[in-house]
Amino acid sequence: MDAKTIIDSLVNKFQDSLVDAKVDSDIRVSAYLEPEKIVEVCQYMKDELLFDHLSSETAVDYPKRNEIVVVYHIGSYDHSVLMTIKVKLPRDAPEIESIVPVYWNANWYERETYELFGVKFNNHPNLKPLVLPDELMGDWPLRKDYEGFPNRTARNLV
Amino acid sequence: MDELNDNETVENQEGYVEEIPGVITTTSMAITDFLKKTKAQDIINWGRKNSLWFLTQPMGCCGVEMIATGCAHYDTDRFGIIPRNSPRAADVMIISGYVTKKYLPALNTLWEQMAAPKWVICMGDCSISGGPFYESYSTVQNIDKMFPIDVFIPGCPPRPEALLQGFIELQKKIMAKKDHGTDY
Repeated sequence: MDAKTIIDSLVNKFQDSLVDAKVDSDIRVSAYLEPEKIVEVCQYMKDELLFDHLSSETAVDYPKRNEIVVVYHIGSYDHSVLMTIKVKLPRDAPEIESIVPVYWNANWYERETYELFGVKFNNHPNLKPLVLPDELMGDWPLRKDYEGFPNRTARNLV
Repeated sequence: MDELNDNETVENQEGYVEEIPGVITTTSMAITDFLKKTKAQDIINWGRKNSLWFLTQPMGCCGVEMIATGCAHYDTDRFGIIPRNSPRAADVMIISGYVTKKYLPALNTLWEQMAAPKWVICMGDCSISGGPFYESYSTVQNIDKMFPIDVFIPGCPPRPEALLQGFIELQKKIMAKKDHGTDY
């Protein structure tokens, strides 16, 4: 199964919600997706296109465009194509459906994305902070307008 | 028993027990305070400085050097410096890495669990100033405001010889009665 076949199959099935689907190279394909279709597309890719391994799930903050883009990298043990799905969310209230029912290992990825970016994953089984302490909840440290960095450091040295 | 105590010893406003005629009552705190003014404190300090058992509590890559220092090659036992696993049995806590906001409560708990007299050694650039995590959102800065630190050992990470030298400096401070672990 090569990259062209995969992207054609996806575009045929979800032509309304897939935007800018393209083949980047022999082993990389990417597409922008509407937020409400994410579980459906992941289920289809896992069942029909042999994408059985979620490599990573994270987010990127774009303050000027007022969006947070959630990025999924989904790979496969049967063929060599890696799929990149990007989902644009509004920056003031980013919400998306959790894909834990499809890929179980998205659990901690989504918890980390939640604590660092504030993306709320609906129907997540256990959406609580992963490594950050509770008092940092709501600050979203990896957003680009975060201002809570320490500014009085190393007073013992100067 | 409670009645007996109520009848014979009455606590005054400062909290000290009133003297019973013919009996000298004292407390361990009073004995300690008295000994601090005498030559006996030198002997006590000699014993303390030769049994600086440190807490094996690695927090970063400096922790690897700390464990290496405690192993056979550097043989810290000759100075009485022995790694201990329990904070109850340890005298020295080595802050060996960056302190995150999430880890600070656990570090405080370990510090409170240690029995006095106790000392802190700041090991590595991360614990001194933040190191490469100088302006991170999740690290605690100015750790010397939270713990009475006696010795700072710079380095990234410091070699085991540097940690040994830090221990020896701490021993010198204890003998000179300049350490922060005891109020003289």
